[in-house]
Amino acid sequence: MNRYVMSRLLQLIPILLGITFLTFALMQIPADDAVDILYQQSGTVSEEIKAAKRAELGLDQPFLVQYGRWLEGVVTGDMGRSYISGKLVFETFIEKLPATVELMLVSIALTIFVAMPLGVIAAVNQNRPVDIIIRTLSFVGNSMPNFFAGLLLIYFLALKLNLLPIMGGDWRAVIMPALTLTLSMGAKYTRQLRAVVLEELEKPYVTGARSRGVDEFTILTRSVLPSTLVVIITLLALSMGSLLGGTAIVETIFMWDGVGKLAVDAILTRDYPLIQAYVVWMSLIYVAVNLSADLLYHRLDPRVREVE
Amino acid sequence: MKLKTKILGALVSIGLMMSGCGSDQAVEQSSAEKTFTYGTVAYGVAMENAGTNPHESYSGWSTLRYGIGETLFKFNRSMQLEPWLATDFEQIDDFTVKITIDPNAKFSNGKPVDGAAVKKCLEHLIANHDRAPSDLKIDSIIAEGKSITIHSTEKMPALLNYLSDPYGCIIDVDAGFDNHIVVGTGPYKAVKVTDTQIELVKNENYWGVDKPKLDRITVKSITDGDTLTMAMQNGELDAVQGLPYSSLQLFVDKPDFKLSQTDTSRIYQIAFNFDTPALQDINVRRAISMAVDKKNFTDVLLHGNGTPAVGPFPSNLPFGDQTVNAVEYDLDSARSLLNEAGWADSDGDGYVDRDGQNLELNYLTYTSRQELPLLAEMMQSNLKSIGVKLNVNATDNYKTFLKTGEYDMFSKAIVTAPTGDPEYYFTSHIVPGAVDNAGHYDSAEIAALEEQLHNTYGADDRSALAIKMSQQVLDDCALIYASHLKMSFVMKNNVEGFAAHPSDYYEITSLLDKT
Repeated sequence: MNRYVMSRLLQLIPILLGITFLTFALMQIPADDAVDILYQQSGTVSEEIKAAKRAELGLDQPFLVQYGRWLEGVVTGDMGRSYISGKLVFETFIEKLPATVELMLVSIALTIFVAMPLGVIAAVNQNRPVDIIIRTLSFVGNSMPNFFAGLLLIYFLALKLNLLPIMGGDWRAVIMPALTLTLSMGAKYTRQLRAVVLEELEKPYVTGARSRGVDEFTILTRSVLPSTLVVIITLLALSMGSLLGGTAIVETIFMWDGVGKLAVDAILTRDYPLIQAYVVWMSLIYVAVNLSADLLYHRLDPRVREVE
Repeated sequence: MKLKTKILGALVSIGLMMSGCGSDQAVEQSSAEKTFTYGTVAYGVAMENAGTNPHESYSGWSTLRYGIGETLFKFNRSMQLEPWLATDFEQIDDFTVKITIDPNAKFSNGKPVDGAAVKKCLEHLIANHDRAPSDLKIDSIIAEGKSITIHSTEKMPALLNYLSDPYGCIIDVDAGFDNHIVVGTGPYKAVKVTDTQIELVKNENYWGVDKPKLDRITVKSITDGDTLTMAMQNGELDAVQGLPYSSLQLFVDKPDFKLSQTDTSRIYQIAFNFDTPALQDINVRRAISMAVDKKNFTDVLLHGNGTPAVGPFPSNLPFGDQTVNAVEYDLDSARSLLNEAGWADSDGDGYVDRDGQNLELNYLTYTSRQELPLLAEMMQSNLKSIGVKLNVNATDNYKTFLKTGEYDMFSKAIVTAPTGDPEYYFTSHIVPGAVDNAGHYDSAEIAALEEQLHNTYGADDRSALAIKMSQQVLDDCALIYASHLKMSFVMKNNVEGFAAHPSDYYEITSLLDKT
């Protein structure tokens, strides 16, 4: 097991090098660089001022030198400073992370809370009206883009019903962005769960349990639901990965100050050190989340252990 | 059945939890404190002004806009300078100016604003800010009691204008810059500054005659136009800046809301590329200028949020539109001018041609200003009506095309008088060889007038020269000035003392109140 974990961690090195190099290269394509964007607001700034700024930021150096310097910094624990705010990149990132983690946890909790019962209800009532209603709702939820769902929620819950604040300054502020994410994630989870539960319900062990007189609730909770855990974990791993990367659109609509918004702002201002930090972060979380999911499969599913 | 009951019970619980989250107005305050919540699209990291240290990037805009800092002089509604922290100035010679500071002025920490504090602040500004040294060209500063004497490295007729730029906010440098918070002289002081929000409290030591009336102000960055609109509609915000044009109509003539609008010096202009042979003929440039339906652009496409422009400066400036003349919208005359220039539709394809070549032009613009693609579409339609084919290239990678010269017309948005002085626009966009002279317009008259302007002191004389220069540009049909942008604030009906200013600098002032 330890060797497996080590090999997965070692795979991270070429992934990080490849992704960061590619990102760095892509950022060189536009004709305007961070300095052009920096001074865009003030209209016209002399080329001397721009040149001085480029020299200060090291942007006057060849691309490979810039990348090498960045890499050297990262290896020695220095991710540099933001071109825009001048703040340390690592500090800036850490500052935004709690908001993203909070949104991720609440969204995941709400999604499980909504999707688990709905998926099961739909499966046990296959092709009955309640199943059709749930399937229709999950179809709508799945098809709705986040920005649209967010605006609809604001319109109804904040503007028409006055139930929740749009931004707020207290604990309620997380509800609407989390609900927005829950709408699409919950819809996806509900459909997946329904399919998995239906598949399990048709398996011989369920028929056997029924013929032995075991009640439906016990069959569902003791046998069927545990069998669906691998699917749920796969979904959760993917969702956590994307949510930890921030949800730029939802964060922008609700002014949720997380890493997604940070990344969008960094891209808009060509703040290379922050963009690179974001890319490293995304690579790390995907590898970490996938690794954790693999380890959990190993623990939860005896079939995986047998294959190994 | 048992299972279904349990699941339904869980769903009902979720519903109850949700309804339990309900509240009265989100911004309702329990205490007797007077509070104000302001939503704006103009604050944040992407705007490079997330902070209040005026010596850092564009943060001075936040310092000045939100009533934390003040400059030595300020602009009135005609964009003319008035004393603020200063009471007076004396131009000792072409290189030296003496500024007297108001004896009552003090920082929010109670420390008086004297010559030494101003000198220290300006020296810190020059040492730390990237644009200020080249704008101000300060050689030395002498502090003496309640005055400073500034000696410049070259003639600086617009020095006081530049000192009124947001980076010129006078702050107590000794008080430090921790957490992006500075000690200024304004009616409010920042207590918490983040990338998305500034929290302000009343400056109890405010030195001005009008004392601040609100106890607490929150400035929130809201970049999504729909969120901003709905937050204003549901009462979470007391005032907003930067609503989408389509949303603005929701608040017009409504009893609960009111608007404040003003023309700004942000212009939407189109430069002709003088390297394009067809455009070297003034009749062609004039014909194209005559085909632009500016009124349609501002009334229909901008929903009334712009004013048709004549020249580069709005009419609230002394050298603005009321002082110059441009060709009028007249399609018939435009067609005649093209014919005079030898362009006629000989093959009946709807486009004028000469020597077998249609008059086909490439129009370059970018999309980050929502108005520019609209202007491009209108230009395409307008020019088609006089037989000119326009190929629009709206790209945020426009600098690549500017470098390669692949355009015949270039449209952009620009603030022409950020410091109330006209020279900046001419030196940056009009004089031969200027950094942003995208059309490569080369006028000896303009060069001579600019030389004169650069050596002229006194607002009236400078205005007179600016008028001559603008008129020269218009006579040469070097550029088309489509529209001045209007800035709009929407606020609740009980908000007083909150007005859009042509400079775009002053938003929260000591006059702001809620009744």
